[in-house]
Amino acid sequence: MIEVEALTKRYGAFTAVSALSFCVRPGEVLGLVGPNGAGKTSTLRCMAGVIPMSSGEVRIAGASLDADPVAAKRALAFFPDEPRLFEYLTVRQHLAFVARIYGVGPYEDLARRLLEELELADKADVLPGELSRGMKQKLVIACGLLHSPKVMFFDEPLTGLDPLGIRRMKDSIIRRASEGASIVLSSHLLHLLEEVCTHVLILKKGVKVADGTLEEVAARFSNGEAGVGLEEVFIRATGGTEA
Amino acid sequence: MIGALLYLRLTSLRNLVVYRVRRLRQPKYLFGAAVAVAYIYFFFLRRLSYSTGAQAAAPAMADVGRVVAAFICTAAAGAALVRVAFAWIAPSEKPGLRFSEAEIAFLFPAPMTRRALIHFRLLSAQAAILLTSALIVFFFRRMGDTGGGRVATWIGWWVILSTFDLHVTGTNLTLARLRDRGRGFVLWRVLAVAAIVSYAAAVVLCAAAYLNAHSAGFLAGSGPGAMGRMLDGLASSSPLRWLILPFGVVFAPYFARSPADFALAIVPALAVVALHYLWVARTEVRIEEGSMALAERRAAARTAMQRGEAPASAGARPKPLPGPFPLEPAGLPEIALLWKNLLSMRNSLLNRRTVALSVWFLVCGLMVARTVLAQNARGGDIYGPIVVMLCFIVAGYTLLVGPQIARQDLRGDLPNMDILKTYPVEGWRLALGELLAPTAILTAVLWACIVVCAFAFDSRGDLEWLTPAVRAAGVLCLGAAAPFLCLLQLIVPNMMMVLMPGWYQATRSRGGGIELMGQRLILGAGQLLLALLVAVPATIVAALVLVSAYWWFGAAAPALLVALLAVLSILASELVVALWWLGERIAGFDVSADSR
Ligand SMILES: Nc1ncnc2c1ncn2[C@@H]1O[C@H](COP(=O)(O)OP(=O)(O)OP(=O)(O)O)[C@@H](O)[C@H]1O
Ligand SMILES: [Mg+2]
Repeated sequence: MIEVEALTKRYGAFTAVSALSFCVRPGEVLGLVGPNGAGKTSTLRCMAGVIPMSSGEVRIAGASLDADPVAAKRALAFFPDEPRLFEYLTVRQHLAFVARIYGVGPYEDLARRLLEELELADKADVLPGELSRGMKQKLVIACGLLHSPKVMFFDEPLTGLDPLGIRRMKDSIIRRASEGASIVLSSHLLHLLEEVCTHVLILKKGVKVADGTLEEVAARFSNGEAGVGLEEVFIRATGGTEA
Repeated sequence: MIGALLYLRLTSLRNLVVYRVRRLRQPKYLFGAAVAVAYIYFFFLRRLSYSTGAQAAAPAMADVGRVVAAFICTAAAGAALVRVAFAWIAPSEKPGLRFSEAEIAFLFPAPMTRRALIHFRLLSAQAAILLTSALIVFFFRRMGDTGGGRVATWIGWWVILSTFDLHVTGTNLTLARLRDRGRGFVLWRVLAVAAIVSYAAAVVLCAAAYLNAHSAGFLAGSGPGAMGRMLDGLASSSPLRWLILPFGVVFAPYFARSPADFALAIVPALAVVALHYLWVARTEVRIEEGSMALAERRAAARTAMQRGEAPASAGARPKPLPGPFPLEPAGLPEIALLWKNLLSMRNSLLNRRTVALSVWFLVCGLMVARTVLAQNARGGDIYGPIVVMLCFIVAGYTLLVGPQIARQDLRGDLPNMDILKTYPVEGWRLALGELLAPTAILTAVLWACIVVCAFAFDSRGDLEWLTPAVRAAGVLCLGAAAPFLCLLQLIVPNMMMVLMPGWYQATRSRGGGIELMGQRLILGAGQLLLALLVAVPATIVAALVLVSAYWWFGAAAPALLVALLAVLSILASELVVALWWLGERIAGFDVSADSR
């Protein structure tokens, strides 16, 4: 469960996200879309507690990010757009480290399964410097999934993955949602969002333009036409020139 | 084409200046600039203006300047020879010129000739050389003052540095061309090295012969005047004079005393620079691959330096290592951070291995020194004091400079702050865990000093009050306080980083503007000040408690232990406050705010 109320993020005098409110229930996948610079990354980083929000309230699995950050963070996993790894820790050591930080307990089995699922098993004793970008991303994902988070934030999760990786990523997101996780992901790949997301939220210059289920949003911008795709909706909603 | 390159250079420069000036509007940069200007004024310029007054009074100063300048130039010429010889002995696999990574990304695929690329590189080098020579004139004029004017000295240095830069570039390009041709590559190199070595040998032999023949005359006089006359004689003695002519031509403008001298000297010097330029501009070889490798290495070295690692280690690919100890999947998260940072520390200048090795060497050295000195009656007297003094120096450096070197803590993890902040760990525990690894290393150094001191102090057993019990109590006290002191000292730079990450990041990079220099000064001063602030209450309390406990117990050892308890409680409470505050700052730390 993710509850966001009036989330605002300012960089100096510039407001990147203004008064954003929404709610993602267990089992839902919310797609965050918007043009470059709309504030998607800023929103996700605020919700994950990476950067302090200027005002507003975020509750993760019932715990307020402000009042009880440790409980909130225990339930969440954040996957940044750029994979960030510790340079001198091997793949296996990353998992050991994360397991200890999150107090996962016996983790070896789960770790092995994750590595196999992500096709990293043969790279287990390699430093990140020798991984490709996609592999790094997979390692970040493995680290994030190790503590079985209830809430997940993905910032552009599909860039850099190979076709099989994209398919697996989509399946894994859908499966984790069906297991009761609440997921928010941002992406520019609209046709993939259509397959994965139950809801979308369209941002433009930090302001919510529309949100709801895919059908609701499509209906709002379809002007009565039938079968309008998310791409067309996106362009209309954000006032692109093609509308 | 050159127009575009010139445009790139000049607009970059202009934007840099505009950016720097605009940045001064922020108080922290303005403050830094003010401190730096004051520092430069008081330590360089004011002294300079005095020195010109003094110089007028004592003409001997001019001689000193020329002697120093002669030495500087001899050393520079020697270094240049070594550098060039080295290029011939071990030419790099692929020749490369210095380009930045962005320059490579934009310029190499651009439709431009290799010659244009080389010109671009020369242009960039010129910017650096002009600046360097100006700085030399500005700051070190007094040291190697040859009596010429400022502009003349500047141009003189420009000639020297440009010739060197062009010669090295030309050598590298020529070597690359020879390698491309294949045949005779080794032969050419052997010939070149033989030529350089025999040249150097000839110069040294001639100089030695001259000095041998004329030493009596010079030894009679003394002082810089005699020295100057000797050098003048040496430089104009017959075979040597011709041997060093190539260097003489290049150095002549720098040594010119009058405008007329300068005018005479500058013409051949400029001709040398022009010839070198023609040489470089006419040598066409493939430089792209090598330049890319070079740029990568330099970028790696730069990031290594920002993380406080030895730049040399950046080129080598790190190998995975087993963890310093097995990490259980459950337990305090701080230990996980210690584990991780110890793992990343192996490339640091102060890693476990270097510390262990130096301690080992230290102990062995002390034992040898002790046995040697023990054979001499008076040697036994000085051994103890010298060792204790050495330990004090090492410990002082460890506490004051160590935190700048061992930086595998929040500072090293700044790029990973994104992930750290999503961990379900309270701010203060994150801070504590991050600080543990450098604390462990610095504490190990301090403990080595304490133990060595304990054995060396009063090694002959003259002091009656220094019973074994007192000795043991003293070791225990200092040893117990050491980790607290290290931790407190490490908190200071980490606090500064969390408070002003942009500022902090900037001070890690080389160069930068005058305001960054000021900020570095402030950081250093802040470290010292806070060290005092932490130490003063603890020391006062320690002294008071020690005296009263001694009066109460009538014995030194228990008094020391009581004092230890008092000091530890003070240090611990300071630590708690500092850690809590640091934790709060981390929780509110805006990764994005200051990093651009
Ligand atoms: N650290 C920062 N300081 C100042 N402004 C920032 C900072 N980070 C982001 N911004 C601004 O905030 C706005 C939103 O940025 P954000 O990165 O959230 O966009 P985004 O929707 O993720 O874009 P993209 O699709 O390109 O990833 C942009 O206008 C950006 O310029
Ligand atoms: Mg983004």
